[in-house]
Amino acid sequence: MTDASVLGATKPAPVETEALTLMLGDRVLLDRATLRVERGQVLAITGGAGSGKTALLGALAGRLPAGVDMAGSARIDGHLLIAQGGRLAPRRPLALQVAEVVGHHLGLDLRSSLRRMADGLDRMGVPAAARRFDLPPEQLPEQLRWACLFAMAVAVGPAVLLADAPAAGLDPTVRLRLLHRLADWARADGVALVLAGRPEDGLAGPADRVLALRRARLLPPSPARTEPLAPLEQPGAARLHARGVGMSYPLAPGPRGEARSLAVLHGIDLDVRTGETLALLGETGSAKATLARSLLCLPPPTAGAVVWMGRDLMAASAPPAAADGRGDGRGDDPDRGGLRRARRDLQPLFPDPAASFDPAMTLGAQFGLVLESLRPDIAADRRDHRIDEALEEAGLRPEAALRWPSALSVAEAAHAGLARAILSEPRVLIADEPASSLSAEERETFLDTLMAVRDRRRLSLVLATERYDEGLRDAHRGVVMLAGRVVESADAGTLRTAPLHPYSRAMLAAAQGERPALEGDAPSAFAQPAGCPLRRRCPLAREFCAQAVPTLEEVAPGHHVACHYWDTPTDG
Amino acid sequence: MAEYDQPPLSHPVPPDTPRAGFARGLSGAAILAALALACAAAPLMADGSAVHRLDADPVAAALLDGRGSLSFALLAAVLGGLLGIGWALLAGMLGTLTGSRAERRTIAAAQRMAGWPLALLVPLAGGLMGPVWLLALVTALTAAPAVATLAHAELSGLMRAEFLTAARAAGLAEGEVVRRHLIPNLARPLLAAGVLALPRVLAAESFASLLGLGLPPALGSWGASVGLAARLGDPVAFVPPALLLALALWAACAIADGMAAGQRKP
Repeated sequence: MTDASVLGATKPAPVETEALTLMLGDRVLLDRATLRVERGQVLAITGGAGSGKTALLGALAGRLPAGVDMAGSARIDGHLLIAQGGRLAPRRPLALQVAEVVGHHLGLDLRSSLRRMADGLDRMGVPAAARRFDLPPEQLPEQLRWACLFAMAVAVGPAVLLADAPAAGLDPTVRLRLLHRLADWARADGVALVLAGRPEDGLAGPADRVLALRRARLLPPSPARTEPLAPLEQPGAARLHARGVGMSYPLAPGPRGEARSLAVLHGIDLDVRTGETLALLGETGSAKATLARSLLCLPPPTAGAVVWMGRDLMAASAPPAAADGRGDGRGDDPDRGGLRRARRDLQPLFPDPAASFDPAMTLGAQFGLVLESLRPDIAADRRDHRIDEALEEAGLRPEAALRWPSALSVAEAAHAGLARAILSEPRVLIADEPASSLSAEERETFLDTLMAVRDRRRLSLVLATERYDEGLRDAHRGVVMLAGRVVESADAGTLRTAPLHPYSRAMLAAAQGERPALEGDAPSAFAQPAGCPLRRRCPLAREFCAQAVPTLEEVAPGHHVACHYWDTPTDG
Repeated sequence: MAEYDQPPLSHPVPPDTPRAGFARGLSGAAILAALALACAAAPLMADGSAVHRLDADPVAAALLDGRGSLSFALLAAVLGGLLGIGWALLAGMLGTLTGSRAERRTIAAAQRMAGWPLALLVPLAGGLMGPVWLLALVTALTAAPAVATLAHAELSGLMRAEFLTAARAAGLAEGEVVRRHLIPNLARPLLAAGVLALPRVLAAESFASLLGLGLPPALGSWGASVGLAARLGDPVAFVPPALLLALALWAACAIADGMAAGQRKP
């Protein structure tokens, strides 16, 4: 690193721009940016959707996107661009693509290209058993595909590597591990590395320097909010109880005709108190979304009970679907009324708000239907007034009621989803990754609106998210989930400062941009290891972990951990 | 949100063509409508007196033939579309009532049959059976599996849509969800799948008539006229029905294509 910086001082830097200006039509994407990246330096450029990151990288790579005009100068040494989404031909065997790219840049044959690629995969921490050069990329898991892309870049060994949205869409712990390895390689080999991505992707962690692309300027990033907007109020008594909630999906029958099923949620116990915000934290396959939907009985869980205000929702929702729902729709009205009352109190927020609106109806018509169903006490001529109020509270103009769902932008759809959820004046909002479609400022605005609505209406909020810090920021309590089980639950402050489970620690590290202490990739739901589901990745794992699934034990008042060796210190 | 009005470069929205294939479908419909009108008005071209097909000039004769071809195609397409849609709905209903296994079997049969050369059944039926309605039924059956496959794909995609979950969260009963949300969203895709039967039955009937095993000669058919003219070696009688048949087939395909493209999500 020191050698690299000494060299960098004498030679011109590999990436230099002078008053680089990018215009898309008459809109300025980038205004006179002067940028310099040294050898062995890692620069992260963050910005929301449409802020011009891709255009900037395209300009640096000399491949401007169509319609973008450039002024000023950009000088760059031998570069390699990893395009957005990691472009690999999906159906061609990986070996051929590696040979093509590496061969094109270095003039090597297939064998030497693959040998260099294998070295690259070593540096990306991919175990030898996972190297499947004969497979086409579409058959590789997403994280392995990204590791292969990075390894290809390592094999080529360019002077500058430009990566657009690297490892986007991977779980935070996996993404940060890969990015740190890529940054290590760049520093060790003296490569200027430019990472561009959304601010919530955590690119800032492995980078030496971070610039935020905001309003056409490259500025130091403004720190995200870390404290709740308003001090959190003390929650009241528990109203929503989940007892032993489990979910399993039927699979095709086995070879001898026996019924098989895949259990994704294993006996979760949960209490949500009035006015409490509970963060369900977990990555892909942790079944946090399944739990959130089970609480709403959409669909009802296959085991356990969900009780709202003393009423068992599963008993209310199950009979009409199974027994006499087809025969006479009216015979089961008392039960349905009970469920409808609960539906009025428990409202969901969906991960893809745009898809949760019927494309064949205007927003207003759909909102009217919700009111007609859940609030028959509101007279028909008062409904429009109520709809306008809800829209304004969610940060939209009342005219939005006249619009069609396909005409809404992503951010507007998210706010409209919030407006629909508060229409029936619920007591609990159950939000499953409500901001996952949003980025940067839009995301912050939406979450701030959500919290403001929660505070004004004293709602309970169940917030399922994979963003550890963001979920805990506004929460009273956090529940960390892994492979359908709760592995740690504690109040938000404890989880943010001193989590005990290795998985919580890794999520916290990833959220802070540090290197998570987990190796390898998450196992598939169909091939869970026996015993603790984390044991193949865990730094604390010992032989006993394979023998028993750890149970939740109380290690301090209100702090539960499910780990055999949580009190064993980690060294490094 | 003013500064985000511009769509990001990396996720370009297509320029303002909200309904892909609309122009093609519209031109197809216009041509088919014009053909149908011309065929309907064809008797007026034959001096207004009794129509003798062999005396008429070749264009008028071809237009007269179109009456048989088009009306038969319409009848068989309606039957085939209804059969296919009914098949898909039956599969969907079996899926919700008895389990996914029955649904899979029902629709797998349609998918397998869509690959068979069912069009060969039409000349067989034309040769063996007398009444036109039986022929129409067999022709409809040849088109139904393809319609059922497409309709079922649309149906099962829609059954998983998130807005149905949102409607259930709003406390709507299943019947209400179907009535308010499923049926309005299903009407167009099912219609698009049903229109797929039109070019198929037209082609199948023309093929059978070309062999002389299709519609009875009294009805007239483009395929039969093309076949007869080819056998007699009469280019003047050959060209008009062949051109009209090609035009009608293109128009029917364009309508079906345009409707299916309008359904496709980007």
